[in-house]
Amino acid sequence: MEVLILNASPRAPKSNSKKYASIFSKYCKVKTSYHNISKTNHLEICSYFENYSDVLLVFPLYADAIPVTLLNFFKTLEKNPPENKPTVSVLINCGFIEHYQNDVAIKMVKLFCKENSFKFGSVLKIGSGEAILETPFKILAVNKIKKLSKSITNKKYAEFKVTMPLTKNMFVKASTSYWISLGNKNSITKEQMETMKIEDK
Amino acid sequence: MKLILSDKPLNISIENKEIKYIDLSSLKITNCVGCFGCWTKTPGKCVIRDDATKVYPYIAKSDTLLYVSHVKYGCYDTIMKTMLERAIPIQQAFIRIHNGETHHIQRDVAPKKATIIAYGSLSKEEKVIFKELVSRNSHNMNFESYNIIFTSEENLQKTVQNEVAKWKY
Repeated sequence: MEVLILNASPRAPKSNSKKYASIFSKYCKVKTSYHNISKTNHLEICSYFENYSDVLLVFPLYADAIPVTLLNFFKTLEKNPPENKPTVSVLINCGFIEHYQNDVAIKMVKLFCKENSFKFGSVLKIGSGEAILETPFKILAVNKIKKLSKSITNKKYAEFKVTMPLTKNMFVKASTSYWISLGNKNSITKEQMETMKIEDK
Repeated sequence: MKLILSDKPLNISIENKEIKYIDLSSLKITNCVGCFGCWTKTPGKCVIRDDATKVYPYIAKSDTLLYVSHVKYGCYDTIMKTMLERAIPIQQAFIRIHNGETHHIQRDVAPKKATIIAYGSLSKEEKVIFKELVSRNSHNMNFESYNIIFTSEENLQKTVQNEVAKWKY
């Protein structure tokens, strides 16, 4: 048994999804293989499906849905179905504290699986996923990733969820500080980030 | 202003200057790369200077909008989804509590009456997922109200004409 990990983040090489995938690999008891989905490697990745019992899709919520990177890959996979169909699991994260904001995207993956005869496996939905790995709450995410890994290797597929254990008001304050620090790295102030102008108008 | 954003060319005549019609399929719009530049480097402006930068200001300004999109796996298909992902410069990085949930703060974005014409051969399940998607969009995209119309590709033209005819100028 081996798990094929596919990162469908639009910024795959520098993504949080890559960090989540790395934690999964670290704790997974079976061999894993990791690949970023890019615009040009869809067919190559489709060919990998022949050799794996399980696929883990790792991606962020994008505009309330699956990112277009994953949507386009699914369309290629649909046209080039592998003979071997691994079980598809999902590790999804969103920047909001409510992990359930990921639910619609998960339903899209399930629909793809149903329409194309792939079994759906486990899912881990992460809220506050943009920053949780940079906080003391990282351990909560790591623990759930371990459980996700165990469920896949034991083929006892299940659903897991995790987010920062903060009130919404506390989360808003924490996320504001997080984004201000990212702006400051580019010499952009909070006031500049708060501009109401769009394309300078 | 009123905006019609379509993922394919529509044969409609629009004489009213208050209506902007954009055929996304005729534009060059690449994928969002998730760099957060529009939030933390050049706030309000995407760092990718392609045609998307001409579209999202209209999305922001419109108080009445009509999205016309093919649907795949319960999601807007590639053309519309690519544009919606590229529209995040109209939001701030900062989070607020809105309708009891955390969402991004909007920049100068007008509240919208949205109509979404979703076309294709959609299963019942796919329609349910798409409805949930638009419901989530309503929180994140400043929809004051919305209406979803499912139609076939063959009837699309007529469906769009009927909806635009309802708009009071």
